[in-house]
Amino acid sequence: MAASDVVFRVKRYRPESGGRPTFQEYTIPYRNDMVVLDGLNYIKDHIDPTLTFRWSCRMGICGSCGADVNGQPRLTCGTYIRDVHKGAVTVEPLSNFPILKDLVVDFDDFLRKLASVTPYIVRKDWGDLTKEYVQYPEDVEAYRQQSLCINCMLCYAACPVFGSSPEFVGPAASALALRYNRDTRDEGADARLARLNTRTGVWECTFVGECSVVCPKDVDPAAAIQTLKFLATMRHMRRLLMPGSSSR
Amino acid sequence: MPMTGREYAWKRRPGWWLRNRRYLMFQLREAGGVVCALYGLVLLNMLVQLRAGESAYTAFLDLLRTPPVLYLNVVLFALVVWHALTWFMLIGKAQPIQFTRQPLPWKVVFGINVLLWLGVSGAVVYLIFGGI
Amino acid sequence: MERTSFDIVVVGGGAAGLRTAIAAAEADPELTIALVSKVYPMRSHTVSAEGGTAAVLRDYDSFELHALDTIKGSDFLADQDAVEFFVARCPEEIIRLEHWGCPWSRDEDGRVSQRAFGGMSVKRTVYAADKVGFHILHTLFQTSMKYDRIHRFDEYFVTSLIVDGGACAGVVAMNLRGGTMVAIQGKATILATGGCGRVYEFTTNGFIKTGDGMALAYRAGVPLKDMEMVQFHPTCLPGTGILITEAARGEGGYLVNKDGERYMQRYLPSKMELGPRDILSRAMIQEMKAGRAFEGPYGLYMGLDLRHLGAKKINERIPMVRELVEKYMGLDPIHELIPVRPGQHYIMGGVSTNGKGETTLPGLYAVGETACVSINGANRLGSNSLSECLVFGAACGLAAAGFAKKKASYPRGAAAREALKKEEARVFDGVLGRERAKETVAGLRVEMQQLMERDVGIFREESALADACGMLGKMRDRFAAVGLADKDRVFNTELTAVLELDFMLDVALAIAHSARNRRESRGAHSRTDFPQRDDANYLKHTLAFRTDGPPRIDYVPVTVTKWQPVERKY
Repeated sequence: MAASDVVFRVKRYRPESGGRPTFQEYTIPYRNDMVVLDGLNYIKDHIDPTLTFRWSCRMGICGSCGADVNGQPRLTCGTYIRDVHKGAVTVEPLSNFPILKDLVVDFDDFLRKLASVTPYIVRKDWGDLTKEYVQYPEDVEAYRQQSLCINCMLCYAACPVFGSSPEFVGPAASALALRYNRDTRDEGADARLARLNTRTGVWECTFVGECSVVCPKDVDPAAAIQTLKFLATMRHMRRLLMPGSSSR
Repeated sequence: MPMTGREYAWKRRPGWWLRNRRYLMFQLREAGGVVCALYGLVLLNMLVQLRAGESAYTAFLDLLRTPPVLYLNVVLFALVVWHALTWFMLIGKAQPIQFTRQPLPWKVVFGINVLLWLGVSGAVVYLIFGGI
Repeated sequence: MERTSFDIVVVGGGAAGLRTAIAAAEADPELTIALVSKVYPMRSHTVSAEGGTAAVLRDYDSFELHALDTIKGSDFLADQDAVEFFVARCPEEIIRLEHWGCPWSRDEDGRVSQRAFGGMSVKRTVYAADKVGFHILHTLFQTSMKYDRIHRFDEYFVTSLIVDGGACAGVVAMNLRGGTMVAIQGKATILATGGCGRVYEFTTNGFIKTGDGMALAYRAGVPLKDMEMVQFHPTCLPGTGILITEAARGEGGYLVNKDGERYMQRYLPSKMELGPRDILSRAMIQEMKAGRAFEGPYGLYMGLDLRHLGAKKINERIPMVRELVEKYMGLDPIHELIPVRPGQHYIMGGVSTNGKGETTLPGLYAVGETACVSINGANRLGSNSLSECLVFGAACGLAAAGFAKKKASYPRGAAAREALKKEEARVFDGVLGRERAKETVAGLRVEMQQLMERDVGIFREESALADACGMLGKMRDRFAAVGLADKDRVFNTELTAVLELDFMLDVALAIAHSARNRRESRGAHSRTDFPQRDDANYLKHTLAFRTDGPPRIDYVPVTVTKWQPVERKY
């Protein structure tokens, strides 16, 4: 093994062979500017073509390439080997998800949760199709941060609550719900808060905060969830005092 | 027949919270919440003993002064303080109620809350020991 | 063996595919729509588009001007009736997306902002910081969740079209997660699978851009149009090929050579850094040849200078540029030059369609980068592509909906069953059964990519093109020996890589032969042996038809309405 080699320990799982996931080691040549994804591609192209993982854009915007690298959920395209090279680089599928094959996990559950928070503009009257709705720069800024979610699932992998309670709506879906609630063009806040003000909604969250730590886009879903707790509570109180009222 | 595979159900590793420092701090924070409740019970018991008479109350205070209980209190008090500090950190990190347009840096909110806490705590201590 | 039947089958879940599906869903609540994609829709490569999307929204602009800019940008190869249709519908698409929640950047008065862009006479590029593709894609994807009648087939890899009685009757697709093949029938099938950048070695494109839809139509007898028209974007990061958006220049960035000179004054003084992309890419190569480029570990490069823009403008208007450069180059564009060099980015060519997305095969449509209408001709202006996806996505969705409504009966099950059996045999028994030996998918793919990069790049000439055509033909034959180590059926990405290479070889052959046969220079197609534009012989679109040997090349005239071709001078 040359001095400039690096060892990758990758968790393998073959669905057609069954059994349990096991580690497999590969030694690959190393350049200082390689990211973990480059390593995985080297293995697949030159050593073991059976290694299976998702990737596409390689620039941290498509959200495909999430994996647990040395125990931390990261995007493999955005993680430099030099930053995680502690003797060996350990790559495993994202925690908290069922494993389909090798590093590929099943996150259909998230898409159902996303659909459940009504992730689109809701309005009674759509108005004139020849004119945009007026929205000032500070209004855009109000929901910009939550709109940056690339659905990479790192936050779900980091969340121990989701790990033990898989029905929890989760960080990303909550952040996107807040994104729409804060959008001045939307009128669907009431329905979203009703959905989130449930046991499977935001109340499962105990503010561990790891989701915001691992988020590659600084969406800060933890803050979004606490804000939603407050908004959901206010809505609940309003409805107790004035039945039939709804949030804007 | 087409071959289809099985998904492997993810299993949580025991000791998951020892895996990184933030999970460990979280668990300690939550443990601190339990300790807060414990302190509450201790205070309640103190009231019960007070009502039961001077000897019962004194006996209880003597119990609290014994070395094992004192050492235990050092640990438990540390957990409570950690719980309180992390509570204020969380307010800074979430800021669900904002008085400014954009969220303030969390350390500022944390600092303000800690100062308020110390102020209130100081006032309570004064009331207990200094009297009105 | 599953089988499913729909009114409309959309292949590809990017901007074009999603817009088409939504348009069809809105056209008629009775229609059932399948959205089949080899990746989850939010992973589609639309997501990486950065700069903006063009539309006439203000008084200082006009459809005439947008059309003229587009046609001139295309070096007069664009079909002018299609361009007129296109520019007139961009504004309503932008507004519609805005109504659906797209976070366009705003002026102080709350109206949608527009920025300058290459080849555009006025500021007409609507933007969302510098993540326009990300925001458009997520807005469309999340809006598509409104419609229950859009059934998604996520991670289904389409391996072939079903053709029955001379019409397209749907697709055969491999369910990656289940490891099975299914026939998804449709009265109308729409290909929206994007471009084919991965046939080149150095490209901004993501891994999934392998020309699948183009090859599928090509194999069903539909011609590919103007495949030689490949766009090389001037500002890509060396090494990774990651795109640095044209918006960086739109906001005032300069391109400099190693002497710190804004070299574009030698090539296009009237437009400088905001000239069309083909001119800029060629200028860069010429500067490199003249020895005025920087040298780095990944070869020669030029500098993109944003230092004079200031931190505030960079952080507000092009924050992702800063993030990407910091992360992948370790440099801060506020204080340092960004290394850039030209890279493959887009293909103007594609499946030949008319203005409604219809191909020569009844029941088969194509839209987006997959299609060639053509509105981009020999060179696309930046920010026209996303608008194209929206405008033609809407038009195609409507047209397909009308077609599906008129068609009384669903396709015959027999044709689907037969196609399914054939594909199962071809893919599972045939391809999957081949043993991995000397010829590997990665090895052959890299060879093809390096060949295309070298011989069918920015500057082309006869002997290199002839060599490329010959080598690609041989690679086509060598492909039969490519075997697999992964014998699983479930989520076999080695198998999908092999199938994608199969598609890419077909597409690469079409590109190389189309390029060889166009003996002129026009737009992005630049021949050192035929440096002049030749309207007398070549004011026409190239059509490539698949054969068992080299593609059959034919031509079809360009539609000229108002703008007579003149010399393309800026």
